Formats: sequence, structure tokens, C-alpha cells
Amino acid sequence: MNDWKKILIAVDQSETSIKALNYTADIISNLPDAELCLLYIYPEPPPNYYSRGGSLSDYQQEKTAAAEVIFQNSMDFLEKYKLQKKVITQSKMADHITISQAILEVQAEGQFGTVVVGKRGVSKAEEFLFGSISNGIVHHCSDFTVWVVG
Amino acid sequence: MEYALDILPQRLHGALKRHRVTRSLRRPPRYFTDTSNFTAIDYGDIIAIDNRFLLVTGYTREGRFGIEEQVKPWVPRTEDLENGEKFILKLVFHETFDMQLGQFTINCYRNPEKEARVLELVKDHPHFMHGRSVLDEGNNLVRILDIIGGSRLDKYIHRGELSHQEYFFQKFPEVIRQFLECVKGIQFLHENGLRHGDIRRDHIFVERDTGLYRWIDFDYDFYMPERPFALDLYELGNILTYLTARERFHQKTILNHPDMGQAVLDTIVPGDLSVLSKNRIVNIKKLFPYIPDRLNNILLHFSYGTEVFYETVAEFHDELAEAMSVLG
Repeated sequence: MNDWKKILIAVDQSETSIKALNYTADIISNLPDAELCLLYIYPEPPPNYYSRGGSLSDYQQEKTAAAEVIFQNSMDFLEKYKLQKKVITQSKMADHITISQAILEVQAEGQFGTVVVGKRGVSKAEEFLFGSISNGIVHHCSDFTVWVVG
Repeated sequence: MEYALDILPQRLHGALKRHRVTRSLRRPPRYFTDTSNFTAIDYGDIIAIDNRFLLVTGYTREGRFGIEEQVKPWVPRTEDLENGEKFILKLVFHETFDMQLGQFTINCYRNPEKEARVLELVKDHPHFMHGRSVLDEGNNLVRILDIIGGSRLDKYIHRGELSHQEYFFQKFPEVIRQFLECVKGIQFLHENGLRHGDIRRDHIFVERDTGLYRWIDFDYDFYMPERPFALDLYELGNILTYLTARERFHQKTILNHPDMGQAVLDTIVPGDLSVLSKNRIVNIKKLFPYIPDRLNNILLHFSYGTEVFYETVAEFHDELAEAMSVLG
């Protein structure tokens, strides 16, 4: 089992992402050896992106810029917890895989003991069609803990 | 503008002039090597591509169910002037549109490159239409498709004067045996990272000469990054529901059915309806009680009442194969 205090948290622009960040920061603010990685995973461009003249590098630049804003907002939020020195950031495209699979890949590569995700609270029909990242991670977790923050 | 008779090899002039399409034409046939502006191409024109001179003899039509069929000007029917071989061409049309599925809107695209990849992948697969993709002089990825002689599956299952019960016990097992091969075909696409994109009951053709069921039309694509194959899977469930019931059942269909009516409609609860289409009944056993539970349970995976979804086409296929082994 990986060290649970090595924590990977999936962030985006959503309110649930801030809730997850808040919950995690509350828990680890008094743990001197905790490490936190903010992860922003974005999907591949839509099928018509290229036919409209876009390139993969344009798309990735756009998403990297979006990630920087998300990371900065998250860092601002964490300031009150004095956690900034323990935090690293990473953004990545889910390349031919789903977003939950990409999160799991980063978890495995970095040997994170805890993965934190927000839960949107999707309906049954939405989950069938569009999926649920938190469910995807819970279904496939082994050797680490998942915190799903609703 | 270029005219066909100015450019075509002399040996083909006679074939062009004698053809039924050009005999009734009131203008000279034109000649196209670039299909970018496909709306300019019409009956009787020649598309020169892939070292062939293809005469446009008609257009395919398509309509969503319940909507009047519309001509697809980017999908002409053609005939090779040299040897009379017939092909359907798919010209590049980058259409984007929203598809409404229950309460959800899904962005859909026509994706010629994806269709070309599918054609390449399934070129030896018996349960898919075949064809090849070539660039025209305008760099458009034109798909040249072999024509499948046969009929749509949803029409095929209505042949014969069979009651539903007779259909279910006499014809349905063989229909599903072939359908399972088509399901495996979709599994093969998914394993190779590709979607069909437009799975519908009229997109399986039953080939007249071989009896094989074959998928057609692969150019639709959609953007669902976390569940890239969910829509294909959902539509497979829809086809299975249709094949089982032999028609699509809504509340009104039950009410108007001579053997059902209000008494059967009163048994229908929200959990019997489709997870995405709240007026479509998927609990078919309530309509035809002789349907085995194992088969009906597969349909219920697509119901509003389900607690479990299929994650993959393989799961759907294996459960259906097992259910059918009991039915014979």
C-alpha cells in the first residue's frame, strides 16, 4: 500500500473541485510530511477540432493555460493553510484513454497513496452516457485510497 | 467547367451516350476530379477518381425514423463506365449537428477520416460493408463503397405472416445468432479504439446472397471522452429491444395493441422504460410473457430501473450469447 500522505487531487474549474481541495487541506494542514499534487487532466480535442484547422499543439497550449489559472486559484485557496511549499502541479491530456484512466496512470507513476476527486452527483442516465470519473476511479483502485468529496 | 466528352477516353463515349441516365439528360455530362463543391455535381456527371470514370446515376436517401427521407447529395450512387460496376461514393461533408437523446444533447460530427480508418480495419471482416478511401484532386477523402445487395434488418424481420410468438420461437433465434456476430464486430471496433457512431436497426443490412448481417455507415462520430463507446452500446441495446419485440413499444402502442390495451399498460412502471428515452418500453416481458427472464434481464440493463450498466460490448455480447443458448 502506498503512503496515504502522498496525495493526488484532481482539480478543475468546478465548485466540487474546491470542496475537495478544502476537505483535503483541512486534513493535511497539520501533517508535516504530507505531499499534495494538484492534477488537471483534460480530454483529447473533439473530432472536428482538426477539420476546423486546429492543431494539437494549439489545443494543448490552450489547455495548459487553463490549467495554470486553475492551479493559481487552487494555490490562492491553499494560502490560508500555509501548504504551498508541499504542493506540486501537473497537467496532462488523456491521450486515447478516459480521464479517470489518465488519473489512475498518474497515480501509479507517482505511487500516490490517496487520490481525491470531487463528485458531481450525476443522474443514472448521465452516468450511463457520459460516465462518472469518481466511479471510474473507485472501481479500479487498488493499493491506494480514494476520497470522493461530494 | 469541363465536359465529360471532351476529356473521357474515346472508347467510353459510346457507353456514356447509351446509358439510361445520360439519354434523358438535357445538358452535356460534366467531368469532376475535385469533389469539394459536391452540390455542383449532378445526375449524369462523371467523377474521375481512383483510375475510374464513375457516372452519377442517383443519390442515396436517409431520414431519421418518422422524418421524411432526404436526398444526401454528398452520397451519390455511381457506375463505372468501363465495366458497369456499381459503387456508392461518400464525398467529404464536414457536418456538425446536435443529437437529442432524452434530456441530453450530444454533439455529433461527420468524420470522413474515422470512416476511412474503419473501412481499412474491417476490409476482411464479413459483417461490415467494404470499401476503400482515396484522395481526389482537391485532397478530399472520398470513400468508394461496395453496394450490399439485400434489405435492412428491421424490414427483414417482418417478412412472412408470423404472429409475434411464432416469430419469437421460429425466426428470432437465428436473427440473434447473426446479430451476435454483428455485436462482435462492434466489439472489434472498440478494441481498436474506433466507434461505429451511428448504430441503428436500419444500419444492418441482410445480404441477399450470403444471408450475412453487415453494418453500414461509419462516418458519424461524437465526443464523449469519459464513455467513448457508451452511445454504441446503448444503441445495440435499442436494436436488441426492437428485435425482441419486433416493433418499438410506447404507451400508445400498448394501448392500441389488440392483445394488450389498458390492462397491460397499467402494469408498466417508470422502471420499465428506457434509461434515456422515457416513453419507450424496454421491459418487453410485460408485453410478451413467454420471453425468457435471462433475455429480458439484458434488456433491463437499458431501463430506467437498472442498478447496473454494461461497461463494454463484450459483457453485452457474452450475456446475450448465454441467454440465447437456453433459447436454442
